[in-house]
Amino acid sequence: MSVQQRKRSTLIMITTLLLVLIIAGCSNKENSSASSSASGDQAASAKSITMSWPRDIGTMNPHTYNPSQLFAQSMIYEPLVSYQKDGKLEPALAESWTISDDGKVYTFKLRQGVKFSDGTPFNAEIVKKNFDSIMINKKTHSWLGIIGVLGKTEVVDDHTFRMTLTEPYYPVLQDLSVVRPFRFLGAAGFPDDGDTSKGIKVPVGTGPWMLADYKQDEYAVFKRNPNYWGTAPAFDQITVKIIPDAETRVLAFEKGDLDLIYGEGMISLDAFQQLRENDKYVSELSDPVGTRDLLLNSSNPKLSDVRVRKALQQGFNKKAMVEGVTSGLEEPADTALSKNYPYTNVDLKPIEYNVEQSKALLDEAGWKLPAGGTVREKDGQKLEFELIFDKTDPIQKAMGETIQAEWSELGVKVNLTGLELTVQIKRLKANDFDLYFWYNYGAPYDPHSFINVVASPGFGISETLTALPMKKELDEQVHAALSSTDEKKRQELYTSILTTLQEQSAIVPISYVKKTAVYQKKISKFVFPANRDENPFVGMQLSNP
Amino acid sequence: MIGYIGKRMIAIIPIVFIATLVTFGLIHISPVDPAEAYLTAAHIYPTPELLAEKRHEFGLDRPLLTQYVDTLKRIAQLDFGTSYLTNKPVIDEVKDKFPATAELALWSILFSALVSIPLGILAAVYKNSWIDMVSRAISYFGASIPQFWLGYLLIFFFAVKLDWLPVEGRGSWENLVLPTLTLSMVMIALYTRMLRTSVLEQLQEAYVQYARTRGIRERVIMLKHVLKIAITPFITGMGMTMGRLLTGTIIVEQVFSWPGFGRYFVEAIFNRDIPVIQCYVFISACLFIVCNLIVDLVQLYMDPRISAKGRAEH
Repeated sequence: MSVQQRKRSTLIMITTLLLVLIIAGCSNKENSSASSSASGDQAASAKSITMSWPRDIGTMNPHTYNPSQLFAQSMIYEPLVSYQKDGKLEPALAESWTISDDGKVYTFKLRQGVKFSDGTPFNAEIVKKNFDSIMINKKTHSWLGIIGVLGKTEVVDDHTFRMTLTEPYYPVLQDLSVVRPFRFLGAAGFPDDGDTSKGIKVPVGTGPWMLADYKQDEYAVFKRNPNYWGTAPAFDQITVKIIPDAETRVLAFEKGDLDLIYGEGMISLDAFQQLRENDKYVSELSDPVGTRDLLLNSSNPKLSDVRVRKALQQGFNKKAMVEGVTSGLEEPADTALSKNYPYTNVDLKPIEYNVEQSKALLDEAGWKLPAGGTVREKDGQKLEFELIFDKTDPIQKAMGETIQAEWSELGVKVNLTGLELTVQIKRLKANDFDLYFWYNYGAPYDPHSFINVVASPGFGISETLTALPMKKELDEQVHAALSSTDEKKRQELYTSILTTLQEQSAIVPISYVKKTAVYQKKISKFVFPANRDENPFVGMQLSNP
Repeated sequence: MIGYIGKRMIAIIPIVFIATLVTFGLIHISPVDPAEAYLTAAHIYPTPELLAEKRHEFGLDRPLLTQYVDTLKRIAQLDFGTSYLTNKPVIDEVKDKFPATAELALWSILFSALVSIPLGILAAVYKNSWIDMVSRAISYFGASIPQFWLGYLLIFFFAVKLDWLPVEGRGSWENLVLPTLTLSMVMIALYTRMLRTSVLEQLQEAYVQYARTRGIRERVIMLKHVLKIAITPFITGMGMTMGRLLTGTIIVEQVFSWPGFGRYFVEAIFNRDIPVIQCYVFISACLFIVCNLIVDLVQLYMDPRISAKGRAEH
């Protein structure tokens, strides 16, 4: 091959390869620019709002989990009963319901005249079809208590649906109010074999919104469902922009591209502070949606003595820590569950910060400071613990460091270990930890899910409590409370359980976690949903432009 | 020539083999179980029964060797399976993400070449002049500023304060400007200095002196002779960068909400989405090899000294 020839063929090769790459790069351009200009036009319309979300909204299948986002599922699909403020259960797709005396038979009168967004009627038939599909994949949903006790479901008549439980379980209605899986897909969405776990055909629901346009990882546009049975939303359209980065989210909001940033941990504490101080925007905090607790693992011999656990709880200034670390975004917690759940409005005596008492308790428990030493000892063992935390969570890290510093004053040594979340959960389940930051589930899952994990092994909480002298009675009380059909009895049991847990100081309440909402003044009314997973658009009003 | 390219392409096989083996090993050394990661991400409590079911579904309960052989077989047929997370075919998702990344990579390479080639040459020719100072300042700035910070600064000034450009997202050309600038900055910093140095080196060579004594004009010496040789390391560098950019620019994709390949991969790592990770590793290996090949071919074309015997027959 001559030099000239070689040069030419090389040139051809290079050009071809580059062309391939360029074509690959440009092939998708056309449709993406078309769609983005579409979403741009829509954003300009006055009766619409734009919100950001860190992850793609997912497949919008009402009966599956990842990657679907709860808030978006709740815009399209509705429950039979809806969880409202302070745990009140209100009619949604079920107009009313009756519960048999033995607590096993639930009969729902379905709301008449409800239609799916495609115009097909909502009736007992479709309710049963959804229940059947959900129960095909029983195992996947086994975390939800109702799944374990659901026996038979039947269509009584067109607008009456009945389900029979194998044993009484009081939180049935709470379980039915959660965002997934017990929400209702229209017939058009079902695959031919009726099993929705592998996918649905179209996301058809009865909710106020329907998915109008969607591009994975970029945006989703929801439009009003013309067939919605309830009060129609005050605006026509919601655009959800997928913005994974918290700082970018704030910049997009400041530019005016976003009307609302909503959720838990959606923006950094600094950014929230900064936006809160700006009069151009409105910032709000919700009621507590969950509690950040510190588990003191009583199955560790050093922590099996209640005096040590109490001393540790008294030995750090919780109020100062929570306010300092979260800049007021979280509220110091005195009890493991806040009082805005059913049955939790109980008077419990807080364990107050008191370093002197704490030191005295440790002395009393036999943990003494050796002469010239900084760490307490007993029988040749040092009072030393490992605190594991999620290394991606700056709040856990800062709190861990504060606790480490304050307890060192008491003569207690803490070693901090940052872990990946999955590893952390694995160690919790394996009961392989001393100190652990744990969160309860929030509404509508609590308080029943909370007491359930207190008694049921496999979640790490029951294991943490094994050295409590009254653990067996506690478990019995939990089982009695969950199956109790007598409201008064149930409250008594809850009071007793919560009091025991408070006194035993193995679940140390740290702070109440709240949701944040920052929005433009264009939104004149904003209401936080009572159900932690629901969308925030119900009750939202826009000011007239 | 064709034979040479063919040989180089065949080299993909052992490289991919090693890459998949290493990836497979790393995934299984990691203490996180993919089934567990899946459930955690879905906010489902990983009970033992559920875990067992998920492991079975993902085929993770089979012996390691079987799993690996199966993976190899599928990759050989270019079948990458379905994502654990989204339950969609991995290849479809990649087809969706890759163009976004390629678009950004090509524009960034183009833009950095357009800026750094003239700037590098001018900085060498007019050494220690104001233009050299400017290029030096740009290089210090570009090389030392963290990419995410530069991204935020650009958004703050050009999108929020001046309102000239969009903050984030992909769509029109306007969306491309800021991410391209952010990505190019570090390349411009590097390549301008690189080119300046190699041009200065060449200017010291005897052939330049000789050409000058022959009375050839400076411009001709520069463009026809010096640049041809001086640009070789620049091309090598660009080629490698190209490979890197095409496999995703995680930080920029994150800051600008660019729906690209890098973000997709990072998410897959956190979720231990093995099919996605394997597909990514495969594509990355191929991309790097192809980019290297392009670099070699360009050099072959530019510098006949390399080609005569050595490399082509290698």
